Amino acid sequence: MLNRRQFALASVASVGALALGRPGSSFAQAEQVARFRLIIDPEGLYNVQSISLAVSSVLGNYLLEALVYLDEKGQARPWLAESWQADADGRTITFKLKGGKAFHDGTPFDAAAVKFHFDTILDPNSASPSKGIVGPLEKVDAPDDSTVVFHFARPFAPFINLLGQSYFGFNSPTAVKAAGQAYARHPVGTGPFMFDSWTPGTRIELIRNPNFKQYRPDAANQGLPYLDRVVLNVMAEEGVVTSALQTGEIDAAQLTADAVRPLADDPQFKVINDKNAKNLMFMEFDYKKPPFSDKAFRDAISHAVDRESVLAAAFGGNGTIALGPLSRGIPGYDDAIAQKFGTPYDPDKAKALLDTAGWKDDGGVRAKDGSQAKFTIRSYADSTTERALAVIQANLGDIGIQVDVGTADWGTFYPSLLKPNWDMDLNRWTWSDPSVMSQLFRSPGHRQLLPPNPAIDDALDAADTALDPARRMQFVSDAQKAILEDRMILPLLTDWPMTVTRAALQGYRLDYLGYIYATDLKVAD
Amino acid sequence: MGRYVLKRLLLLVPVVIGIMLITFLMKALIPTDAATAIYQGQLSEQDAAQAIAALRAKYHLDLPWYEQFLLYVGDLAHGDLGESIRLRKPVIDEIGYRYVNTILLTGAALAIALVVGLATGILAAARRNTWLDVTATTIGLFGISMPAFFFGLLLILLCSVWLRILPVVPHGPLAIVLPAVALGLIEAAPLSRVARSSMIDVLRRDYIQAARARGASEIALILCHALPNALIVVLTVVGLQIGNLLGGAFIVETIFSWHGIGELAVNAIQWRDFALTQAIILISAVTYLVINLVADILYAWLDPRVELVS
Repeated sequence: MLNRRQFALASVASVGALALGRPGSSFAQAEQVARFRLIIDPEGLYNVQSISLAVSSVLGNYLLEALVYLDEKGQARPWLAESWQADADGRTITFKLKGGKAFHDGTPFDAAAVKFHFDTILDPNSASPSKGIVGPLEKVDAPDDSTVVFHFARPFAPFINLLGQSYFGFNSPTAVKAAGQAYARHPVGTGPFMFDSWTPGTRIELIRNPNFKQYRPDAANQGLPYLDRVVLNVMAEEGVVTSALQTGEIDAAQLTADAVRPLADDPQFKVINDKNAKNLMFMEFDYKKPPFSDKAFRDAISHAVDRESVLAAAFGGNGTIALGPLSRGIPGYDDAIAQKFGTPYDPDKAKALLDTAGWKDDGGVRAKDGSQAKFTIRSYADSTTERALAVIQANLGDIGIQVDVGTADWGTFYPSLLKPNWDMDLNRWTWSDPSVMSQLFRSPGHRQLLPPNPAIDDALDAADTALDPARRMQFVSDAQKAILEDRMILPLLTDWPMTVTRAALQGYRLDYLGYIYATDLKVAD
Repeated sequence: MGRYVLKRLLLLVPVVIGIMLITFLMKALIPTDAATAIYQGQLSEQDAAQAIAALRAKYHLDLPWYEQFLLYVGDLAHGDLGESIRLRKPVIDEIGYRYVNTILLTGAALAIALVVGLATGILAAARRNTWLDVTATTIGLFGISMPAFFFGLLLILLCSVWLRILPVVPHGPLAIVLPAVALGLIEAAPLSRVARSSMIDVLRRDYIQAARARGASEIALILCHALPNALIVVLTVVGLQIGNLLGGAFIVETIFSWHGIGELAVNAIQWRDFALTQAIILISAVTYLVINLVADILYAWLDPRVELVS
């Protein structure tokens, strides 16, 4: 066993070497570097091909810029665009570009680059997930370097606000054409940081764009980015992320409420809540199936769920309960409508409603016409939904409705909603524009099961085609009212995604859409 | 011997085809495919349907499973593992370097398991019923009971957060240390127990007593006389444990962001990226079968009493 001794010697030597070369190495002081967590390795960094959260966070935060950004009220403001004008029938929108922008590869950002991006999305061969988002967009023209004309089959009101999303940030057409399929591994944009390297499954490194020009007046830093380098480490496991925050190996990470709790009181860290969050957790019913086809029954359930408890259980109270069918963070959310037509927690009222509807209460599970109030509720598997379901199950039990819960991963859960014969589901959706209501609830709805409801459908159609913002918001309010009055869904809550940053990281601020002001980031020594 | 190896290698073919067939059958039972997983819930319904249909046609997902199977086997015969729908690139490009990483990790873990497992097993056997033996056995019991993911997190807490001798975020050649130690120490535990009992068994044999009577030193007795015979049993266990290591790598790789095929497999299954999943299963299965074959051959080579019969 000579090698045992050799091994022991080698071990001692290597541990010694490790102790000398401790992490958080000293050259970091010379170079301003910030390190962040990525939850999963993006599948590719080309926004025409993928618009998942992982992809959008890298592209939208650092690499790409869009025609507009949304200000703190959710209003579209010029970014790479200088101005825009819709024509009288609302089917054509003309953008003027600011000019003077160049891509990281030195080629100019111009109208042709904008046209190229949307042409690629519209090309069926791209199979782009953004194609559905641009809706009735038919054609894009670039009559000169600084003019882009969008042609629509019908007026499409959500378009301007959607342009602020990273899916519509621009890639260098020269780079896309030159790289072909490989482009997704080496994106070239106009943003404050440039792509440097990618170790698949491990990390993505970005470097400062030395020629960056800031076109967003709402960024605190109007000059070059302070950071020389941004490192995005792929770290799936939250326990590992927490350790890396403690050792200073990463500077910020989005974490769940459970993982944030032990760090929250530590002065080394700051917790940042995204209170502009645009998600909504809600329950849906199988409309075609009794007793869910009966509005009175939906009404009873809508009063039976204690949203505060759901929020506390699922997100540690980090968020806000929702009475309206549109997330508070989305422009057009109407709090007056939500308060007036919403269904606050009131179990006594729920019981009374069930009594009136003929659901007999003999102390156990209620029954009507020989059938017992036993149902199932489905959701996607996640610690948050599972805890929310536990509360909902108990709440419904309190009013005499027995519920079985069933969760599966999203890829199994979501398609199962499209098939008939289920009772209720717990869902969560994130979107930046009120058109999310049309996507989900305009008959036949995202599950292809909703019967036409003129009050809802007409309001949603009007909201999607009214280009005048004030008029549009009126229709958006009407739609919220109609959805609530129909008890179509049971809105539960909006959670605030939490980011823990080390105190040394400065300037970590999120804009209305939740993107970082990357030029403002700085690491104090 | 040559005939035996050839026959075992030929037997791999039906086994591999069987494994592929089973995974294709399992795939037929799963309600979603990659095309749906990518687009569902991101698009309005009619656009999703269009995009999904286009993707399905491109990747033959619209065909019945047995036709897909025949196409797959046909491609495979030409050395083509297919293309990942999610990553939009050939599977082989993604799997190649990841496979090397997994082999590196399991190799390093195996080395740690062997060194630690054998050393503690032999020591415990040689000093049977002393505090050394009790300590080694107790620690081994913890090792056997502890799941790798939990042990991994404890290691990070110890080495990175408290002692600060290793980085949490992997970079450079040191990145392999924590995952390999986590995986290796867990596997060292059963190895240690087998080594101990096997050594105790051998040390009781007459020829050991005879050697002792002839005045052989205790160290020579253990290392030269007893160990080679005790190792034969250990070797069988090691062959099986490599399978455990490959399985354990799936979890440990995810925790430590070690980009091997295990981490990829977890994602590929969630994405319903079938070409990727299938390739990972295939490559893991072949690895496992080959390792078992090598273990069997080694077994015969080490122990003259064993004969390979074809």
